[in-house]
Amino acid sequence: MNTLALRFGPFAAHVETPFGAVIDGLHLLYPDDSFIDIGEFSDFHVELAPGKYARRWIRPQAHFRLDGESPFKPLPADQALPMFEWGLNYAIAAQAHQYLVVHAAAIERGGRVAIMPGAPGAGKSTLTAALVQRGWRLLSDELALIRPSDAHVVPLARPINLKNNSIALMRAYTPDAIFSAETHDTAKGTVALMRAPAESIARSREAAPIGWIIFPRWEQDAAARLAPWSKAAGLMEIAHNAMNYSLHGAAGFELLADIFATSGCYRFTYSRLDDAITVFSKLADSSLAGRAD
Amino acid sequence: MTDAATKRIGSFVHWREWDGEIIAYNDRTGDTHHFADLSAWLFRFLTRGAASDAMIAAAVANEIELPAAIDRDAVIARTLDIFTRLELLELREQATA
Repeated sequence: MNTLALRFGPFAAHVETPFGAVIDGLHLLYPDDSFIDIGEFSDFHVELAPGKYARRWIRPQAHFRLDGESPFKPLPADQALPMFEWGLNYAIAAQAHQYLVVHAAAIERGGRVAIMPGAPGAGKSTLTAALVQRGWRLLSDELALIRPSDAHVVPLARPINLKNNSIALMRAYTPDAIFSAETHDTAKGTVALMRAPAESIARSREAAPIGWIIFPRWEQDAAARLAPWSKAAGLMEIAHNAMNYSLHGAAGFELLADIFATSGCYRFTYSRLDDAITVFSKLADSSLAGRAD
Repeated sequence: MTDAATKRIGSFVHWREWDGEIIAYNDRTGDTHHFADLSAWLFRFLTRGAASDAMIAAAVANEIELPAAIDRDAVIARTLDIFTRLELLELREQATA
């Protein structure tokens, strides 16, 4: 059994697993200083365990356990590494109620954060992966942690989960980035994890306010287009994408309403990453120019 | 003397308005709602004070231009019914002469 403790953003997890591939994968995807002393406080106690009896040898499985509970059905053992990352998402969404947790990417430039919710297939992770290689800071690929006290987004820079065609696309787009091995035949197709940029991880304590809420959608051959969208409709969408909105009650609504009152709300369609990056750069630059005036 | 019910948006409803659209959170049900067009106008009207159905109809007639093909009273009734079903309204029985 391997035991380690991992710090990511404001959280730490104590991890036990006999799967060497998971340990190797975590050391590939997280920087050395993410690994902390196993005696330190951990928010989550995670176990990735093999199946019992014949399942150790015949179509071996991995079981994800969080604080001794098994929230998921087991997956094939070769999916243990992505399962760990998905399991951490579950753990954060299920337990981190000190934040309003929104299912969205969060990236920062010029001191302001863009929140990007996205339905599966919308191209959110691909767009995020590209933007954080071109001047934006990764706060999160999957879960935006909004701090109620000041409406800032707290960084949670973890590996970016890429799927299917996005993997080859991002390998070509960012040849220097570090990727895990591909895992095939998952519920999401083929997946691979891309290590978060070093600068994003180094700035894991720098929370920032939200400047934009952007709903991206990839469309074949579409020109990159950022169009203002109804704030009321946008807030409804964010509320649907917030994992614990109902737990925050009226305070959660007021938090989101305050954020929308001071942020731009847009729909964004794109097909080419370079065009998307140009549009996002202009958005951030115009915001900076506006503040300088 | 007859009794006429007046209604208003409940004090337990949190709401914001942007560009003529309303987003509202009902602190009793935990539900969030989005209203546009006439429903947003009626919502806003009913946040200003309690009104009877006759007062609401008169206000809409005075301030909103609806296409001729639309049955104004029916649209108002349908919208108020939605507000009622969403438990957004506070109702009061008011004595009138």
